Amino acid sequence: MTSTDEAPSATAGREAPRSGVTGGMFRAAVTLHTVVVFGQPVFAGVYLSGDIGGLDLHVLGANAASFLGLAQAIVGVTYSVRQRVWWPALTSLLLVAAESVQYVVGMDGALWLHLPLGVSLIAGLAVLFTVAWTRPLRGRGRGGSDA
Amino acid sequence: MRRPTGVRAAPSRRRILAVGGALGLLAGGGLGLSGALANRPALTGGMLRSAAPLPEPYTVPLPIPKVLTPAATGKGADRYEITQRETTAEILPGTRTGLWTYNGTFPGPTIESRRRRTVRVRHRNELPVPTAVHLHGGRTPADSDGYPTDLILPDGRPDAEHHHGGGHGAGSHQMADPRAVTSRVTRDYTFPNDQRAAMLWYHDHRMDFTAPAIWRGLAGLHIIRDDVEDALDLPRGEYELPLLICDRSFDANGSLRYPALDPSLRERPGVQGPYAAGVLGDVILVNGAPWPVHEADAARYRLRLLNGSNARHYDLEAVTDDGSRLDLVQIGSDQGLLAAPVTHTRVPMAPAERYDVVVDFRGLKPGSRVRLRNRLGSGRTREVMAFRIARKARGGERNGGRVPDRLADDLPGWHRSQATAVREFAFRAGHMQHGRGWLIGGRAFDPGRTDVSTRLGSVEVWRLVADVHHPIHLHLVGFRVLSRGGGPPLPQDAGLKDTVSLRPGESAEIITRFDGYRGRYLFHCHNAEHEDMGMMANLEIA
Repeated sequence: MTSTDEAPSATAGREAPRSGVTGGMFRAAVTLHTVVVFGQPVFAGVYLSGDIGGLDLHVLGANAASFLGLAQAIVGVTYSVRQRVWWPALTSLLLVAAESVQYVVGMDGALWLHLPLGVSLIAGLAVLFTVAWTRPLRGRGRGGSDA
Repeated sequence: MRRPTGVRAAPSRRRILAVGGALGLLAGGGLGLSGALANRPALTGGMLRSAAPLPEPYTVPLPIPKVLTPAATGKGADRYEITQRETTAEILPGTRTGLWTYNGTFPGPTIESRRRRTVRVRHRNELPVPTAVHLHGGRTPADSDGYPTDLILPDGRPDAEHHHGGGHGAGSHQMADPRAVTSRVTRDYTFPNDQRAAMLWYHDHRMDFTAPAIWRGLAGLHIIRDDVEDALDLPRGEYELPLLICDRSFDANGSLRYPALDPSLRERPGVQGPYAAGVLGDVILVNGAPWPVHEADAARYRLRLLNGSNARHYDLEAVTDDGSRLDLVQIGSDQGLLAAPVTHTRVPMAPAERYDVVVDFRGLKPGSRVRLRNRLGSGRTREVMAFRIARKARGGERNGGRVPDRLADDLPGWHRSQATAVREFAFRAGHMQHGRGWLIGGRAFDPGRTDVSTRLGSVEVWRLVADVHHPIHLHLVGFRVLSRGGGPPLPQDAGLKDTVSLRPGESAEIITRFDGYRGRYLFHCHNAEHEDMGMMANLEIA
């Protein structure tokens, strides 16, 4: 996160068009993932208000979040490998691991872990969303266009 | 892109604001979505709408269930006979509704009994399904407690219930219960009534199909009286009204509507998905009549309230037409009189809970009206019943009378330090063998498994925690509420209870002494749909 991103050169876009696409895809994946995960406490709350349909939505949301988490990890790893910047891969893989645990303990009804982990996941995704949209998504030393 | 070149890349102010705004929108959108989707106030269950035209509230007179006459009266015991049979009744004016009944009426006949005077009831099952009768709140020997597999099998269907692997008629659960004691057509239940004066109720308790059986009409009152109560100056006779409140839904032809997966109520238990949290009707019945009205004197009345609904909670208040709320002075709870009266303006009632309240109409002019309303309802389900003040008080009620400051001094005073066990149970939705169900401590009901074993006479503290609304009922014993959500009990938790209402996310501690009889008993959620979908457990008293 403290990598030495340099200011973009005028030719950045022409130098690395493919990474620009991957960077954009990473932002899109993080954004969709964040939106879906923000829905999860909503559906949990609907369930706790007595509407069992909220639990179905919560499971649907968990499936969607898992899928989007994996998609984000694939894009993140691709980006990291190409650009030799490691935070997109590391944070995405960490999220996949945490979400897998979250899914299992949720299905298991282990709320002592499910609730705090869920709060952490949302906090983590909010930070990642912020970082992904405010940091330049370009490789080290090759410029920092906002893709 | 618009950053100055040659310095370290920093996001533009505009970008930071945009990201912050997006997160703010996301959070705000979540709140909006939650507000739109959630039940506010929390309401556990799915609303089943009637197709039938519904009557105007407060047009049908309030019926009072008939008191059953003993078939024989002997030394120390009375014998009754009840036939469980199908019938039709006019519930909605102008239409006939098919019902399953005790003795042809809904509610069934009321059994009036005295403390320590044994009541024997011979139940005869002429319904097309097996049944089991449980006296809710009764201190009953295990073999008369209506265990869900101790069935009265109907005549004429030889072993039909064995074709589906249900052992002793246990539906599709594939659970054989070697301890089940079934009988064919008739069964004698013995109720020693060795307990405090209280209003109990009897209802069907068959494995997997309790909820639809109660919905179809298998419920009635059983009142125990004693000298402690008789000695008090309480409204009696026509000034004492038993009120069984429940909700139902009706099809266009007047028949009861219920979202059972198996309408024959024989094989596949459970309800359709949208109602898995409980079935809520849109018609409120009191003693079997929709939104009835009762012609009352300007006198004190003792209202013996029972929430006989499968899943609906009520928050009752008595409101006059000029908008003032009358005090509801609680004198008793599930298991009889309180030590001292508690004055409420609202009485919250979970399924199976009873409240014994005195309401005073003496200040009201003839012609005025008092409505019993449900603050948790919406639209028509806000209305429950009405009293129309028809005349001045007569007889003894004319001369005053007030609720005594001290009611009963025979309430058990168990203390935490006496407890030989502290147990914890979580009541939550979860996965069962056949999809989602309702679990206690992560497990669905299995008649073959002992969940709690204790010794006769031991005192225990139980900590109960819920995800959504769960009214938790213990068979055999009464208990006291020690705490709620870590704080003191609520005013309505006073007295001796047999059902404690847990609200979403709430926990409560109860204390009880397991005495009376040894054997296999139950504790369960009294949301009847939850009960049928796994939320029940065995309590073995040795």
